Amino acid sequence: EDRIADDKEKGAVVDHRRRLLSEWLAWREQEIEELQAERLDLGLPADYEEVLAASQDGEPEKVVE
Amino acid sequence: MRPILLQGHERALTQIKYSRDGDLIFSTAKDQVICAWFSANGERLGTYHGHQGAIWTSDVDSTTTLLASGAADNTIRLWDIRTGKCLKVWDFPTAIKRVEFSEDGTKLLGVTEKRMGHLGTIVVFNIKVDVNAEQDNEPVLTITCEESKATVAGFSFLNTFIIAGHEDGSVSQYDAETGEQYIHEPIHEGHIMDLQWASDRTYLITASKDKTSKIISARDLSLLKTYVADTPLNSAAITPKKDFVILGGGQAAMDVTTTSSRQGKFEARFYHKIFEDEIGRVKGHFGPLNTVAADPQGRGYASGGEDGYVRIHHFDKSYFDFFRGHVSAGNGRVGKHRKH
Repeated sequence: EDRIADDKEKGAVVDHRRRLLSEWLAWREQEIEELQAERLDLGLPADYEEVLAASQDGEPEKVVE
Repeated sequence: MRPILLQGHERALTQIKYSRDGDLIFSTAKDQVICAWFSANGERLGTYHGHQGAIWTSDVDSTTTLLASGAADNTIRLWDIRTGKCLKVWDFPTAIKRVEFSEDGTKLLGVTEKRMGHLGTIVVFNIKVDVNAEQDNEPVLTITCEESKATVAGFSFLNTFIIAGHEDGSVSQYDAETGEQYIHEPIHEGHIMDLQWASDRTYLITASKDKTSKIISARDLSLLKTYVADTPLNSAAITPKKDFVILGGGQAAMDVTTTSSRQGKFEARFYHKIFEDEIGRVKGHFGPLNTVAADPQGRGYASGGEDGYVRIHHFDKSYFDFFRGHVSAGNGRVGKHRKH
């Protein structure tokens, strides 16, 4: 019975985290879209990193993971 | 994580900033000197001399051309990063507690201290990102904080807003052109000590003496996340590439009443950015952490302590293996989860 209760608890935690993750990703997607639209309206590249990449020679350094 | 210990300051650290490419670290301290370091090996690139008081803050523009600094000598200074030459000095009636460039480097703000006869202000200068250019003498905008003085501030995405954290724990959103206040929200219950941006500046993280750190939307100041610590916080950073935040704080020895192994709690704390729970701690400092900064390229972080040390940490493989969207139950620890 303890194990069933334990599993239930874990299931609740996982559900909670899934919800937090999907909420966050949905919010990010909306923010990124809005920002890109504003940047394009101003005649800027969609992503600021592109500006920096163009101003420096070559590509920005890649992270080695 | 193997830390590199930087011994270049003789007094408490106040702020650490990375250059946009993550290759350089700039540190300020109460010892009146700004140091520049190579983040890869901790070698010192140089120092910037001129301030006549404790230096509270510095910032580097996104092209790593100009360095700005603010100090207890009531000046903001602008430096040529490459040569170490002081390019400009702006005088104020009170100390400068914070400076920050806009994302594109064309604007610089300074937060001035409140003192008898002077309210705290946020001043904004137009900047030419060119070491040979003549910079303006006067600010283009001065925002006066009538209620609670600002302690930290910065420019949002596209220089649309100035967001400021205040001594009373509130956060304000101002129009960055006109200075008009749009929103003023009580976010914290104590002094806001730090404000740092996500890489696209659409959201930010605060750190407060109320022992919490919060993520807030720049667009509407809505509260998105809260990280609860057990010690007053001085600094908080958002790690790019991975969904973590790093918090630093701790109580000064004289404020600690109990003696325990966790005395003072001088550890950098990692929290999961989305799930809000603590994942791990990194020990090392002998005093409170006054400042933490994340490498904009996601390779590591640096912390600066009341103990006068800067510690650079390069993340190891286990950190990168801690994959995004990790949704398992239980208490994860940095380094425990490995890819198969």
